[in-house]
Amino acid sequence: MYAFIYARVGNRADAEDLTQQVALKAIPRLRQGAPASAIRGYLFATARSVLGSFWSTRLGLSQAELHEDLAMAVPQGPPSDESTERAQRILAALSDNYRRVLELRFLHGYSLKEVAAEMRSTVGAVKVMQLRALRAAAKVDPDA
Amino acid sequence: MREKPENRIARIVDDLLHGRRLRLRAGDAEEKEAITAAARFAAARQGPQRMSPAFRRRLAQILESTPEEPWLTRRAALVAGLGVAAGALAGGVVGKALAPAPGSAPRVASKPVLPVDGKWTDVGALTDFAEGQGKLVRAGAVGAFVFRRGQSVTAVSSICSHLPCELWWDGGARLLDCPCHPASFTAEGKPSSPAYPLPDLNEVKARVTAAGRVEVLGT
Repeated sequence: MYAFIYARVGNRADAEDLTQQVALKAIPRLRQGAPASAIRGYLFATARSVLGSFWSTRLGLSQAELHEDLAMAVPQGPPSDESTERAQRILAALSDNYRRVLELRFLHGYSLKEVAAEMRSTVGAVKVMQLRALRAAAKVDPDA
Repeated sequence: MREKPENRIARIVDDLLHGRRLRLRAGDAEEKEAITAAARFAAARQGPQRMSPAFRRRLAQILESTPEEPWLTRRAALVAGLGVAAGALAGGVVGKALAPAPGSAPRVASKPVLPVDGKWTDVGALTDFAEGQGKLVRAGAVGAFVFRRGQSVTAVSSICSHLPCELWWDGGARLLDCPCHPASFTAEGKPSSPAYPLPDLNEVKARVTAAGRVEVLGT
């Protein structure tokens, strides 16, 4: 559950807060004898509602406006490399420049300055490219 | 002056890549797709994550310091369920039963489903229904869970009173669970948890004929 949440918020502090919320909400309601699939479904349903209110609160949106991919499906197996594979599939669908800037920033941890040097560009141009690449990445359906 | 979107996103990405909390503000909603994509890329960079031992201890303490209820094994559920990879949950380690809350706040009984020009639909022989176990039936456009009580039957709508999702019958817990959010209802259509107050399920009219057939008022 923690991995599921972390994969969606990308930082430890928020992932810990949200996991705690899920625990406090869901654990008291787990029942002995309930089928494992029901427990999984229940925990993920709670995680999704907690994630939904996290994003809507942080962004000042109603949940209806959020219209956000919270990955509604319950993962079938262990989360293992789910988020890494998903990221790779998205990157593969992007144009070369967008893929490069996101790879350097997120996968290799380059600073904007380092990316600019690597791509023979300027920091300002890399910032714009980073924004456009993220917008484009958000439009890719990794399951397509 | 308003920050340019590329600078704003650069700052958010920088926070994420340094493991800092997401500090967002209302104006960021315009770039919500880019921000959520950035959060997922930042997570992918780290690979699958597990709870730190310190957080696990803290969480266990918080759970154990909350007021006791008729369930005991928060720590077990925590360690087994929330801490490890989600797949481990399939192992079915569960806390103790939470008894449906007795004496929860009185609620207005939900109205029965009375379709215009409704008609009684045969949904099976009474002997097809196990005592006290919910069975999903359809009477035209009306979906219902029918419960046998001796020689009579009762029925509630199969649709959750909060989110419009079809419930399922958890025979072990004897509750109707909503797949869309953490809510469940008793066979009488009452929400099972006082912590999550919801309207009752709509009643569906059901009867047993002289021939021992169960009929539900549908379309």
